[in-house]
Amino acid sequence: MSDTDLQHLTPDEVELWAQGLLPAARALHLSQCPACLATAERERKLFVELAQLQRFSPEFGFVERVMAKVRIPTPSGGFKQ
Amino acid sequence: MRRYERPVFSLLYRMVRDRALAEDLAQETFIKVLNGIKSYRPEFKFSSWIFKVANNAAIDHLRRRSIDTMSLDGAPDAMTPNARAASALQLSDHGETPLQEVEARELGGAIDRAIGRLRPEYRACILLRHVEGYAYEEIAQMLDLPLGTVKTYIHRARNELRGYLEDRRV
Ligand SMILES: [Zn+2]
Repeated sequence: MSDTDLQHLTPDEVELWAQGLLPAARALHLSQCPACLATAERERKLFVELAQLQRFSPEFGFVERVMAKVRIPTPSGGFKQ
Repeated sequence: MRRYERPVFSLLYRMVRDRALAEDLAQETFIKVLNGIKSYRPEFKFSSWIFKVANNAAIDHLRRRSIDTMSLDGAPDAMTPNARAASALQLSDHGETPLQEVEARELGGAIDRAIGRLRPEYRACILLRHVEGYAYEEIAQMLDLPLGTVKTYIHRARNELRGYLEDRRV
């Protein structure tokens, strides 16, 4: 067993693992370390909850309200409201 | 612009937890971005630029409010405990406005309540990373923070969130 096999996973490595990107050598540590596995699974659960958060919409007509206050330059050099 | 309307509004809403205010800040963001389109720097991804402006608007607002009334992490303001209790009573006497009811429904889930307890800087980082999916480097650029600081904020925010959520589950 090398030194890296014995080192616990860093938060960055836990994130890589949750994305399926952890190198095999470090994944080996995870399979042998109950502490890291427990942490990693708690983290993954949190990532899933965050990724599933609902997106909200502003009140109807938001874009029109913004555009009414913006002056966008036209290619001809003038402005359009 | 329609593409960014919901992500930007959602970020602001979760930052300030007030629908009307989030809409004002979202308007301010888009007006600033569209009026300043000529000064757009192409080394920035367009979406990063919008989120940068939006986040600045939210943090500025929260800082101003913290000076006026309370600290950023929601610590009690200068009111005496009795005055606080009285104002809380008044609120419950009058009930919630329809908008407050919508807010309570929309942001009332455990995870949103936990996010609401984070410091605004942590909140911004965690939302940009784990809700919007930006890379650490992009977040550092958006928030004008060193990369190491962004990582620290995100790791601390995750620990705090797990703590809040697990407290609730026991
Ligand atoms: Zn370990």
